[in-house]
Amino acid sequence: MLGRLRLDIRRGQRIAVLGPSGIGKSTLLRIIAGLDRDFPGSVGGDERLSVVFQEPTLLPWRRALDNITIPTGCDPALARDLLARVGLQDQMDRFPRQMSLGQQRRLSLARAFAARPDILLMDEPFASLDPDTATRMIALTGDLLDHSGAGLILVTHDAREPARLMARPLMLRGDPATLHEDRQAN
Amino acid sequence: MISGRRHRKSGTGAVPGVLSLAAMLVLWVVVARISDNPRTMPGPEAVAMRLWQITVTGELWFHAGMTLFRVLASFALAMAVGVALGLWMGRSRTADHWLNPGLVIALNVPALVIIVLAYIWIGLNEVAAILAVALNKIPVVTVMLREGTRALHPDLDDMAMAFRMSRAARLRHVVMPQLAPHVAAAARAGISLIWKIVLVVEFLGRSNGVGFKIHLLFSSFDVAGVLAWALAFVAVMLAIDIVVLRPWEARLSRWRRDED
Repeated sequence: MLGRLRLDIRRGQRIAVLGPSGIGKSTLLRIIAGLDRDFPGSVGGDERLSVVFQEPTLLPWRRALDNITIPTGCDPALARDLLARVGLQDQMDRFPRQMSLGQQRRLSLARAFAARPDILLMDEPFASLDPDTATRMIALTGDLLDHSGAGLILVTHDAREPARLMARPLMLRGDPATLHEDRQAN
Repeated sequence: MISGRRHRKSGTGAVPGVLSLAAMLVLWVVVARISDNPRTMPGPEAVAMRLWQITVTGELWFHAGMTLFRVLASFALAMAVGVALGLWMGRSRTADHWLNPGLVIALNVPALVIIVLAYIWIGLNEVAAILAVALNKIPVVTVMLREGTRALHPDLDDMAMAFRMSRAARLRHVVMPQLAPHVAAAARAGISLIWKIVLVVEFLGRSNGVGFKIHLLFSSFDVAGVLAWALAFVAVMLAIDIVVLRPWEARLSRWRRDED
């Protein structure tokens, strides 16, 4: 259960929310994303948000390119450019089922950047990947963040990920859970 | 050890299908010969002759056309209302609580009662006929779509909401593709049920259509005529299933294939 907390972020800033499973990290992210409205408090600001979910969460009945243009409403040229950036230029006409899990995750990352976010929200996006794929995905995420200038709120239980993405680590702990600076990581 | 026999290579099933039809035809010939009463049990050749007659005189096209019009009109109405109600009841618990008792009652009212009441309350006209057929089918479509809606993936809903997809885009690209198998199943089950009810509606209160013709032939105990009309319309409905519904269903499930 979440306690009283306040989190401020602007475009270009990167924050990582760490904490054990079940502490409320994903709930916090859902509240920020506007997916969970049943809470006392408010989410303010006019920054454009975009989400990378724990699972790729793609439309299985739409091809890769449409999986970017339909949810985000972006131009097909931008979608093609992003697909090329994540190394999926040859997969545009494939359905998600015809792609590997790693490719599906890259597609999900490309979709999130196609929404031209000011702040990117990521919910344990590297959790179930093998170490090599996770390393490549983190590097790719870092490149896309540098290129777009977007800010980041990363929810993770892996204390190494914030440093690799140059994100300020915050610890969610206690009952009810509140945010604290993670001194161990600094 | 698990044997591989279950995965034995199977053909298209065309040969057994044709053989089974041929067996039924032979059985019909034998029964007709044994009964030796062409009036109550005519053979296939007598029925084929009648079928030829109604085809060349043009009678078949007019009456089958009227029946088909009623089938399509009531099918469209039943699918539109049933899908909308099923979607609403599957999404909203309040709507489900309020509408479910009515739905259970509607599912259990005999088709004949609805038809008779529609003719009495609305009159012996086309509106009553089409409405009566649609009312018989709407509860079944609603139940199938409600169950489909309850099985929608919540994570895709979250994704659509997170990317602020419009309501129309969400319905078209997120909700309807998930419901497509349920809509297709309801459509295929529905069209076969509907044409049978349409014949009853025509039998009881219309002055054209296959049901009306069967009514006339029933009055004169003309079994060859009844069978000719019935077979002709079965052929029409099978053609619709093969030419329209099956390809449509196959197209909807294209994305399930692993390879292009």
